[in-house]
Amino acid sequence: MSVTINVSDDKKNATIKINGRFDFSLHNDFRKSYKDVVLSSGQYSVDLSGTDYLDSSALGMLLLLKEHAESQSSDVMLTGFNDEIREILNIASFDKLFTLG
Amino acid sequence: MLDISPQSQTALVVDDDLTNRLVLRALLKESGYQSIEVENGEQAVQAVEDNPQIDIVLLDVMMPVMDGYQAAKIIKNRSESFIPIIFLTAMTDEASLAKCIAAGGDDFLTKPYNHILLNSKINSMLRIASLYKNIEEQNKSIQNHNLQMLQEMNVTRKLFEKINKKDMRGENTGLKYSMSPMSMFNGDLILAEKNQTSGLDMLIADFTGHGLSAAIGAIPVSDVFHSMTLKCFAFPEMLVEANNKLLDLLPTQMFMAAVLLNVDRSNNVLSVMNAGLPDVYLYRNNEIVHTFKSKNIPLGISKLSSTQFEIEMQPLQYGDRIYVATDGVMEATNHMGDMFGLQRLLAVFEESDHSDLLFDAILNKCADFCEGSEQTDDITLLEFCHKEKISYTDDMAYRNVCREPSDWSMQFDLDIKSLRQFDVLPYIMQAVNNLQPLESGRMHLHTILTEMFANAIDHGLLNLDSSMKASPQGYMDFYREKQHRLETMEEGSIQISLEHRIDHVSGSGGSLTLTVIDSGEGYDYASYETTNKNAYSGRGLKLVSSLCSEMKILGKGNVISARYDWSTVNTD
Repeated sequence: MSVTINVSDDKKNATIKINGRFDFSLHNDFRKSYKDVVLSSGQYSVDLSGTDYLDSSALGMLLLLKEHAESQSSDVMLTGFNDEIREILNIASFDKLFTLG
Repeated sequence: MLDISPQSQTALVVDDDLTNRLVLRALLKESGYQSIEVENGEQAVQAVEDNPQIDIVLLDVMMPVMDGYQAAKIIKNRSESFIPIIFLTAMTDEASLAKCIAAGGDDFLTKPYNHILLNSKINSMLRIASLYKNIEEQNKSIQNHNLQMLQEMNVTRKLFEKINKKDMRGENTGLKYSMSPMSMFNGDLILAEKNQTSGLDMLIADFTGHGLSAAIGAIPVSDVFHSMTLKCFAFPEMLVEANNKLLDLLPTQMFMAAVLLNVDRSNNVLSVMNAGLPDVYLYRNNEIVHTFKSKNIPLGISKLSSTQFEIEMQPLQYGDRIYVATDGVMEATNHMGDMFGLQRLLAVFEESDHSDLLFDAILNKCADFCEGSEQTDDITLLEFCHKEKISYTDDMAYRNVCREPSDWSMQFDLDIKSLRQFDVLPYIMQAVNNLQPLESGRMHLHTILTEMFANAIDHGLLNLDSSMKASPQGYMDFYREKQHRLETMEEGSIQISLEHRIDHVSGSGGSLTLTVIDSGEGYDYASYETTNKNAYSGRGLKLVSSLCSEMKILGKGNVISARYDWSTVNTD
């Protein structure tokens, strides 16, 4: 399990990559990864290509990231998820809250 | 880290020989330790009891009254923390030294001892003791933590029991559900309340987070649910209210996934709002005939208006069953780490040939699957069976305040704007209820008012064709068309008046006359009635006329007046 973040030089894009299970145990690492990142009208993307499970507390963490992004007039995109994770995102209607790439 | 500098450490010196004691005291003092000296084992035991500051015991073996072996045993048995004991002995044979350790000693040193060696042994023992103390303190705080958690679980369980105070389950109501204690702690909630059509409104919810934090959200949701069901508010209004409460209360990362079910017994229609829970199944004649998928964002995430909730409607037949599970069922995990999953759940539906046993079959299959695993205790499952005959026990019923009958009247004039914007019926019902609670007639009154009002809007104002409602798709189309016409209509109004008169003959009741007038064109009701005796579209008004003592269509067909007689003597 790991969380890594890459911020582009122009401060327009930040990519957070989650490996392994995305659940409550990542709470601190996830929050820490973006806490000090400031984008101006940019986009945070959460790369879920290495994520094999996502639970409801992860959905909650994504909402926190969304709040953080919106305070910087930025949005959040979720990418790279597998079919099972897509199903979870669909059930929670997160396609209405996030851009799914 | 604990302080293990010599100044803060106290050694107990136990020796019957005065010279030995004095030598040791001097030696300890030189190294900076405090010391207490006693002459035999018995005194040593007492000294350890009386002086909690003692960190280490230097113990002679051969002494009068009580020897070192026995003293060591007692001290080790009695002390809760780790006090190292170093035996100081003149004996050098292996058996005696082994006996020192067997009696509870941690080390030994043979006399005459080397001062440097003694010093370093004391130091090393004290270091071990300080490690022990650290671990002990951590253990204590973990224990406290566990205790707190147990207490929290207890409080939460009690809270949820209070919230779930009304148990509507039973053969006679058609409602069955199972909630494991752990699922409750994990934030699962089931609420049920009898609605105005004598059907049930049910809420199955799953909060993110667990324990007390989930209960914080559950309390206002339960309040909103019960009070708004009782006041006859429609589904979307209740959802907006609950959603707003949760938005206010819950931190960003917390929300409530929920399914809201409404069983309308007047029209035999099921409405389902699924916001973030797994599929809801409608089961008929041994197969799943409809699946209600989640189409809404869980509650407590973003601000929504009543029209933004997607609610699905399906006609109900007697014997139909509805199944709702929280993700605890699907995610129940066996010892191999596999989840129960959708396929296994659907297989239970497939294999079942007796619908009465289906509920238990699902629970059993899930329990069997998880056998031997620890995480089996997070399961919430609800079954509702739509029965032809139902009954509720007294404690499931409404409690109305009795009030002396009185004469009164009121009138509501609604223009097209207010008709578009809000549902006036709950307010009227509430007003009537405050003025004159109608004992057993409450449900009837709501049905009468609803049907008359719907008739005035659907047919009087909007000219909609009721026969559209015959098929499930038509049902949806009908409501879509209704919404459309309401929004595009430029003029129109409805007047509702209620007049209540005491029954002077019996003195224990009265009659309520309801009149609804629409601004529509009306219709030739005289000839309509003779040609459409069994018309499907007349169902609403037929219901009204069956519930009322008298019902009249007046004017050009745009006025309906109905009289409802009631009595404080319960005739139900």
